[in-house]
Amino acid sequence: MSTVASEPAAATASADRSVMELRDVRKTYPGPVEVLHGINLSIVVGERLAIVGPSGSGKSTMLHLMGTLDQPTTGQVLIDGVDVSSLSDRELSRFRARTLGFVFQQFYLLDGVSAVDNVANGLLYSGVSLAKRRALAAAGLERVGLGHRLHQPPAKLSGGERQRVAIARALLARPAIVLADEPTGSLDTQSGADVLALLRELNSDGTTVIVITHDPQVAAAMDRQVVIRDGVIVSDTTVGGG
Amino acid sequence: MASGRLSLTDTVRVGASGLLARPLRSVLSALGIAIGIAAVVSVLGISASSQAALIAQLDRLGTNLLQVQAGQTFGGTSSSLPLTAEPMIGRIGPVQTVSSVASLTANAFRNSYIPAGQTNGIQVKAARINLLDALAGSMAEGSFLTAATENYPVVVLGATTAQRLGFDHWISGSMVDIGGTQYAVAGIMQPMPLAPDIDRSALIGYPQAQNALGADGSATTVYVRTTPEQVDAVGSVLANTVNPANPNEVQVSQPSDALEARIATNDAFNSLFLGLGAVALLVGGVGIANVMVISVLERRSEIGLRRALGATRGNIRSQFLSEALLLAGAGGIAGVVLGMLITFGYSATRGTDLVVPLSAVAGGIAIALALGAIAGLYPAIRAARLAPTDALRSV
Ligand SMILES: Nc1ncnc2c1ncn2[C@@H]1O[C@H](COP(=O)(O)OP(=O)(O)O)[C@@H](O)[C@H]1O
Ligand SMILES: [Mg+2]
Repeated sequence: MSTVASEPAAATASADRSVMELRDVRKTYPGPVEVLHGINLSIVVGERLAIVGPSGSGKSTMLHLMGTLDQPTTGQVLIDGVDVSSLSDRELSRFRARTLGFVFQQFYLLDGVSAVDNVANGLLYSGVSLAKRRALAAAGLERVGLGHRLHQPPAKLSGGERQRVAIARALLARPAIVLADEPTGSLDTQSGADVLALLRELNSDGTTVIVITHDPQVAAAMDRQVVIRDGVIVSDTTVGGG
Repeated sequence: MASGRLSLTDTVRVGASGLLARPLRSVLSALGIAIGIAAVVSVLGISASSQAALIAQLDRLGTNLLQVQAGQTFGGTSSSLPLTAEPMIGRIGPVQTVSSVASLTANAFRNSYIPAGQTNGIQVKAARINLLDALAGSMAEGSFLTAATENYPVVVLGATTAQRLGFDHWISGSMVDIGGTQYAVAGIMQPMPLAPDIDRSALIGYPQAQNALGADGSATTVYVRTTPEQVDAVGSVLANTVNPANPNEVQVSQPSDALEARIATNDAFNSLFLGLGAVALLVGGVGIANVMVISVLERRSEIGLRRALGATRGNIRSQFLSEALLLAGAGGIAGVVLGMLITFGYSATRGTDLVVPLSAVAGGIAIALALGAIAGLYPAIRAARLAPTDALRSV
């Protein structure tokens, strides 16, 4: 167990391997309220990382910044060494389509659409034909253990099954980074454990997994825990080997 | 519309799935457009069908008929034309047929017990035996006056006259009382669109009128058929031919003008209904805009999710625009079909040919799509402007 100081020098040192890097990131919401006070964080390819902290500490804000869904007020977010503030809406969209996969607490599945078509939407904005998307989606559902529920609408699935559909969708484009915001927050203990196991497995493909949670037990399932409190990183712990 | 890497079929599919997820709402919001388009298409279809019927009638009756009447005297009574009028007109080169009627003072009754005042508006006239040829008329029942029957107390009834005298059907041996004499009814005529006053007349032969009713053999109205190309030329010389001394006492007219005027009247009537159709379309367009605005508010998280999946602002805009266009397009197609059914029903009951102008069909769908684009534009722009984080935060 080792504690790494999160300062710019350390981040720069590992820049060649870091897939995601936050440099002195601050975020101020209208009010004005600063909710992130200079975050420095470097995430290496293939890491399994948890960002853990109490409700309101700024975790979701951080995930939105890392996911290019929002821009920092000051500071930089670099993905694969690219400063995302320099990108246009189209370029950011392409980034999200190809490099990033999102999993949310609320699943965000489309109601009127079958499980397989919900998953297929993971490649909707990547220029892949419908037939190919569906074939990949069926394989993806198979992989998360839902090969028998392809044509079910979300309303007929349990919470755990819905989240596995959402994970299959996030993985469809084979993103380098998966960002999950409280992925177990709406699930019972057993389903939550299944979902976490699934997210851990991803890592065997070299996918970087970033899980945001208020639950220390969920965080413990990841190799590295970054603890955030009131918009400041208070500790950054790596359990070697995982 | 910049739509990233999304193909047209994917854009349409995404839009359609959004609508199919809320089928009742989609149907209701397309309804306004459907009603508006149905109104426009059926008004245009019905008017085209009835105009086609009028034009066909006009073609059948011909526009080469001229009507010559003596002008009104100072006393206001219509005078007769000179006895020479018909032979003189017959000598004009392009004239094909000359016929005439002469108004008589006698009245016609079903029998001699009817009080003399109850004329029912029926006029007794003397008619030439070639009147039907000149007016392109025909008999409903029985036969017209002939070279034989024009010399005897024989009468032919106009369509309205027959009704007013109570002849639902003509029976051989039916009689009418004219000037105290029983006249045998030879037949009943079809309505005469080119000479509606004949419908209200009872016609007897010129020789009989002169022998029994003291007529002088002069005509009050002369009907002239000319070669079609020379109608105007003949029309301009008729007054001088008939009455060289006082040509301005002669009235020359072209009865087909009245039918042409009816075709034009139809247009004025149509604009009223087209105006109502336009109002329905406007309401339909506002309805779609309204539904789309609500839809954008309700589907914030879907918009946020799609942005997270890599949708550009353009993709989101195209999605909502395509929903509006599909709604309006479906409404437009439904409206066109409904309008054609209404037109079909109308022309089936009227026995006219079915005419649905292609311009009404194409125009109806084009108007619907244009309305959809206008109605969908603002909601689509709002959806595209939504920040992904705001869209995802709403629960
Ligand atoms: N769009 C916003 N406008 C204003 N304040 C916000 C906005 N989003 C989040 N906040 C505030 O920022 C703080 C951090 O929120 P969030 O990042 O969601 O924390 P967490 O995910 O750790 O619960 C909270 O106090 C929240 O109220
Ligand atoms: Mg949160």
